[in-house]
Amino acid sequence: MTDETPHIDCDEALERLYEYLDGELTPDVEAAVRRHLVACAPCLRIYDFERAFLRFLEARTRAADAPPELRRQLLERLLFDENQLHGE
Amino acid sequence: MPPARPDEASAERRAAFEREALPHLDTVYRVALRLAGDRSRAEDLTQDTMLRAYRAWDQFTPGTNARAWLLTILRHAFINEYRRPRNRAPTVDVSAIEPYTVFGDIQDLDPEGRFFDQIIDDEVLRAIDALPDEFREAVVLSDIEGLTYAEIADVMGVPVGTVKSRLFRGRQALQRTLYEYAVSMGYLKPETP
Repeated sequence: MTDETPHIDCDEALERLYEYLDGELTPDVEAAVRRHLVACAPCLRIYDFERAFLRFLEARTRAADAPPELRRQLLERLLFDENQLHGE
Repeated sequence: MPPARPDEASAERRAAFEREALPHLDTVYRVALRLAGDRSRAEDLTQDTMLRAYRAWDQFTPGTNARAWLLTILRHAFINEYRRPRNRAPTVDVSAIEPYTVFGDIQDLDPEGRFFDQIIDDEVLRAIDALPDEFREAVVLSDIEGLTYAEIADVMGVPVGTVKSRLFRGRQALQRTLYEYAVSMGYLKPETP
């Protein structure tokens, strides 16, 4: 059986943590991290904790949309700007 | 086809702006809110950003990343005209943050991080607002708005490696602040040695 996936140790797995969770790794490095996590329960626990933290942040911070009044004012300003340009 | 008359051209220009830029208004507003710190300043900063973008619309290449382009304009407007000395909240000393210490502190108590769910939204936003500017920007662009590292690097004008390091330290600092808050509120009761 051939296995091309490089081995990484705990230090490297933790260094890659956020890149892995953010989907920023190349496929080969991602596979290496995944392989490490399958074999290493302590690292997996940290990964699970950090994943929960990132999901929590995402869920709690995206609520505010631009106020409707701001959108209306902006559309008015754009129209005004366009008329100014046109009038020149 | 004859060239469009000036009024037609400007109407087309506005239509293109409304089609490509306006859908990102919520993103611009949310980032402005976290950078500027309060609603009134965030609204001014958002209007300012969108008007600057509209006036510079000819410099935008259609089909490229309008969101990153708008956020770059927002960031410049913020740095040049809206940033003020940070005396609102005590700023976290990010350099003093050790990685993964929160997990180390609670791995026997709450390894799945259930305590996060007890923290109210306002407290999360307050903790983000207390981060130093460059770390707050990275965290907001990534964790609130979901930009890729490359997009954040583009907006902040720094290499991707810098984005990684700011994101890493910013997230760890944020986690530490929220952990300490949870302990102070009694959501977590670490055993004292």
